Amino acid sequence: MASSFMMLDSLFLLNKYRWQSSLYRTLADGYHSRWYSSYQKPGTSIGKISPWKNVDVNFKKGVEEIKTQCGLLKKEIVDFLKDINQNQLEDYMLNQTKVLWEFRNEQDLNKWVLSSDAEIGGKSEIYIKLHKNKQSAILYGNLNTTVPRDGVTKYSGYCAMVSKPEVIAFHRTKLYDWSNFNSLYLRVRGDGRPWMINISPNKYDSTRMKDVYNYFIFPRGGPYWEEIQVPFSKFFFSSQGRIQDGQYEIWPDRISTLGFTIADKVDGPFQLEIDFIGLLSDQAHTESFAYELYEKNLKK
Amino acid sequence: MKCLRALLVAGELSARRGSFLKKDLLQFQRSSSLQNSRLLPVRSIQLSTVLGTSNFTVKNREKHDKESTNQSLMKTEDLFEATSIHEKTKATFQEAVDIFCKRDIHRKGHVDFIYAALRKMPEYGVEKDVNVYNKILDVFPKKVFIPQNIYQKMLKYYPRQQDCGVHVLEQMEHYGVMPNKETRSLLLEIFGDRSNPVRKYQRIMYWFPKFKHISPYQVPTPLPEDPIGLAKLSLQRIAADLNAKVTVHQIPHLEILDSEKVINHPHIVGIQSPDQQSLLASHNTEKPIFLEGPFRLWLKSKCVYYYVLRAEPSEENMVEVIDPERNFYYPMHLDIDLERDVLDDYEFDTDKVEEGPVFAMCMAGAENKATLAKWIVSLQETNPILHDIVVIFRLTHSTQELQSNEEIEEDNARAQAKFFKQEV
Repeated sequence: MASSFMMLDSLFLLNKYRWQSSLYRTLADGYHSRWYSSYQKPGTSIGKISPWKNVDVNFKKGVEEIKTQCGLLKKEIVDFLKDINQNQLEDYMLNQTKVLWEFRNEQDLNKWVLSSDAEIGGKSEIYIKLHKNKQSAILYGNLNTTVPRDGVTKYSGYCAMVSKPEVIAFHRTKLYDWSNFNSLYLRVRGDGRPWMINISPNKYDSTRMKDVYNYFIFPRGGPYWEEIQVPFSKFFFSSQGRIQDGQYEIWPDRISTLGFTIADKVDGPFQLEIDFIGLLSDQAHTESFAYELYEKNLKK
Repeated sequence: MKCLRALLVAGELSARRGSFLKKDLLQFQRSSSLQNSRLLPVRSIQLSTVLGTSNFTVKNREKHDKESTNQSLMKTEDLFEATSIHEKTKATFQEAVDIFCKRDIHRKGHVDFIYAALRKMPEYGVEKDVNVYNKILDVFPKKVFIPQNIYQKMLKYYPRQQDCGVHVLEQMEHYGVMPNKETRSLLLEIFGDRSNPVRKYQRIMYWFPKFKHISPYQVPTPLPEDPIGLAKLSLQRIAADLNAKVTVHQIPHLEILDSEKVINHPHIVGIQSPDQQSLLASHNTEKPIFLEGPFRLWLKSKCVYYYVLRAEPSEENMVEVIDPERNFYYPMHLDIDLERDVLDDYEFDTDKVEEGPVFAMCMAGAENKATLAKWIVSLQETNPILHDIVVIFRLTHSTQELQSNEEIEEDNARAQAKFFKQEV
């Protein structure tokens, strides 16, 4: 009996994390929404679908898919080789600043994903739109801390914006290399509400799925734009939304996404105008990590 | 069976050193079940030495037992309802907790009671009070949940109680309440060292002070009640200039006319920095300036609204270039690069958002044009150029993003402004 439960458990895990396997994603037919979000609504049962059920074994299709992926890989390699000559060396030698995201047209807005607690049954709303003068984006909405009545959820009220990871050949996500720089640089205009910046590192395996590095920004509010510099050393490590005891430095050479979250437990409208998001190499900032690197269980 | 009973009695006798009464023995013999808890050696329940508020004695045990049997079907929430029929305050909340503590020596159902108390806290307005949390933690019986041997330490000893303790601390964390020494000693007394609630306490005590002062724009708690004080505070925050001068243009007062009509004059508080003043002085009088608003500003959980006096972006607003041949003896303008190194270049490769200059900001007690017009009139004293400039009102009823120029609204405002101009 126990062993059968174990089997079921492992099947569920396989089902949950199979999407990470790039081979599987090449073979499987379309994606399931649950692969992106592991949130399961309280009261619903876990659908135990066999991982092989969705696989459409079609040789012709498989060959075509591999062909397109190889095409993407070729393009990737060519781009990489071109890039070495032009940008990377210059980046490394000279550039102390780099603009990552700007908001100048509608395509720039499509690089971001919005989400709110409406996913878990809450009532918050978040929208993004381009400013009239087409020079900045306005992130606005309404935060509502009403807890969904599902009997399990204790707290509610968050809105978030996350950058879309760019997918390259064989369904890998393109990683950003920010190792030449040591701080994040934002030009924003807020309304006095605090925001959290989330940097999500590369997901090497399923245990690191929910690992995020966080820090806070406090826009001043008012009619003036504000430049905010957030050093990478300030980012603290958290997993599944909890600060971890073991803190580690962020590795800026393998970053997958950047996100903004508002969850300050205050009901009401919020607004954040973003001009651009960039990187800065501040030579005056020498701190490598702002928190103590303690051992978890010290021997006496 | 009888012999087993006799054995048990003998065991009890030895355990309690023959100090129990005849009455108890008789009762024991009468009772059919073997599991009479009263004769089994109960682990002593001790009260906290920290609080020591409840004057509970073992003497009136039986009396309480009777009461608890009567109240056993009572819902835990009802305890709160019963104590606070008239008002819900900290005193009535604590009274409910006291009643529960005195009801039963075993503190039967204390976990449910604590969960209910945590849920009730916001209703009573005590969710940000450390002492109330300590009072709730004091409901836990002391020294019972401390693991005694290695096996108990290895496993999670009394998991439901430990989870409940963590839940109390989590609610404290949620409302930003810093635990104190009393909380620590209570947790050590209840759960012992290295238990989950103590770990949670340690984590809170580690991270809370780290993030306490990271906000560069600290807001005082509690916020000033006085609207003028609040307006001063928020205007100084958004002005982003220490030289900016706050002016109270109008103190709130009631004016009683001869016809016994009462006119309410709301407060008007404005701010203007010397830079803004000089910008306004150099403004082209042929171009109108705009009064925009209201815009939102959040001070923690308080939302206030402000208005901005500004112009449209134009070439004229740029910094004027000084002719290099104006002075041959020394340079009128020095362009010294004060950056950190020769190769350092901290310019970002983007265009800055083009926006018109801001001339002044204000906060008013009422959102109508008459009040804002008064502000402009008052500004004319320090900025005489305003006599010659047309001020157009761009007021949005719903607060939206800066510079959301509603055309319809603008037309209305233009008419208003003309009227206003004539009036002046």
